[in-house]
Amino acid sequence: MRNLDGILLEPVGCLAEFPAEPFHEIARRLLGRRGKLSASGSRCYWHLLKRVGEFSPQTLAEALEIEAVNAAALYEDAVPALAELKAMGIHLSIASSLSGAAITCFLEKHSLGGFFTDVWHRDNAGGVQAVPLIRALCGASLQPENVMFLTDTVEGIKVARSAGVHPVLMMNDPDEARRLAMRSPSGGVVSLHEIPDFIRLVAAQNRTGQLDG
Amino acid sequence: MKKISIYKPSTVDQAIQILSQHGTSAAVYAGGTDLLIRLKNRLEQAPSYLVDIKKIDHLRYIKEDAQGGVEIGAATKLAELADSRLLQEKYPMLVEAVNKISSPELRNASTLGGDLLQEVWCQYLRGGYSCWRNGGYLCYGAIGDNSYYHSAMGGRLCYAVYPGDAATALIPFDARAKLATPQGVKELSIEQLVPGDLMVDGRIQSHVVRFNEILTSVVIPPPMPGVRASFEKLRPRGVWDFAMASLAIRLQLREKTIEDARVVFGGIAGRPLRETVVETFLKGKTLSSELGEQAISVALVNAAPLKYNATKIDMAKGLLASGLARLSA
Repeated sequence: MRNLDGILLEPVGCLAEFPAEPFHEIARRLLGRRGKLSASGSRCYWHLLKRVGEFSPQTLAEALEIEAVNAAALYEDAVPALAELKAMGIHLSIASSLSGAAITCFLEKHSLGGFFTDVWHRDNAGGVQAVPLIRALCGASLQPENVMFLTDTVEGIKVARSAGVHPVLMMNDPDEARRLAMRSPSGGVVSLHEIPDFIRLVAAQNRTGQLDG
Repeated sequence: MKKISIYKPSTVDQAIQILSQHGTSAAVYAGGTDLLIRLKNRLEQAPSYLVDIKKIDHLRYIKEDAQGGVEIGAATKLAELADSRLLQEKYPMLVEAVNKISSPELRNASTLGGDLLQEVWCQYLRGGYSCWRNGGYLCYGAIGDNSYYHSAMGGRLCYAVYPGDAATALIPFDARAKLATPQGVKELSIEQLVPGDLMVDGRIQSHVVRFNEILTSVVIPPPMPGVRASFEKLRPRGVWDFAMASLAIRLQLREKTIEDARVVFGGIAGRPLRETVVETFLKGKTLSSELGEQAISVALVNAAPLKYNATKIDMAKGLLASGLARLSA
């Protein structure tokens, strides 16, 4: 793996645990879907992104996403990990398929805005899934092979691959992570506090490889 | 098994020169009970060049030093430690611990240095999974079967436990390790030698020894009067297995009052885990059969078990209670 100098983050499932219920509500009220998509907020969210164009009215989708943001629990290691990464000079971007209003609410609620060089969401990126990732890469002139995207869903792995960045698993649920590990992600972490070590290890391996080689 | 070359240096300096020349693709070879298995398992980080130190003089001995302590050469076989009258007389707890390492056959081959610096025995690493220690970037133990050989005290990238028993038993004696390095002799406490997961020369390993350094000996300070010590180990099988939890405890007593304590857990974390909270709790207390029950209430409060290994914490606390009860008898 080449040295990593950028991380794209999707708040859902990577910076915070989002409840599934608001996403069920979006599916029920905007798409007329009965039954629950999944017990996992992340999986519901990624599932819904396939049909985001059908959300009508968009304002209701936004309101429900803000409800999800307000109910989300920020991971306790998020702030120290982001602070350490920023101090290491790692480029941090939000690359999310949430609405602009939901992302703004999330960053303000947890006072995270200062950590990110840029913030991409479905409104300013003009699309969902891989689109915010690609906009973030282009906007910061990052080489995709030097960038990781944290994800805890199979859709997230696919989206990262389609954008050319390294999909790295957030192994929140061991059983789900075991299934996702079969999809050959570039790596996986149990906790955000491992990300700085991940980046340092890759850099150290590359240095040692040069010495040995 | 990959093609390997073996060097047989006759001095430590020569060995260091060879190690320096080959970088991380070389490794020290003594007992071979860990290293050769890593080669057989075709692990990514297994070396291509082995530096056989068995023929080097002055690495295989057990001798009393001028202060009444004992120095043990790193290439000394575990069986020789187990049979040593000197060790039995001065540090019976260490001999007890060594006798619980692996099997008699393996103790005849394994060395003290090898036991201290061995690679973790995670089944995913040894099974060739592309994990942090094997060229990959994911810990399969954290998400797979972590009942036996993974940390219940949190982790940092790799969640495998440090598997050695000798370090767990040596730390209570404040033993120190001597390393030969290109810059000269380096001395470290055993705690400093095996601090758990860390990056050394671009690799994740449990110890701090760099690619061009050699552990040459372990020095144990003289035994103190009034010391009682005990080593306990629970493993999945009665013999020939690694600890699910172990405990080495050393108490310095005046009459029945504990003046100083060392409490070290093995098999539950990425390093031998010195539990200073319990040590502080024990100081000044009267040693009694009930003390164990009180001590476990303050022990391992930072436990962070994985999905399948919470029982390790119960085991470790049980060992603390039984160890103290045994010492009070």
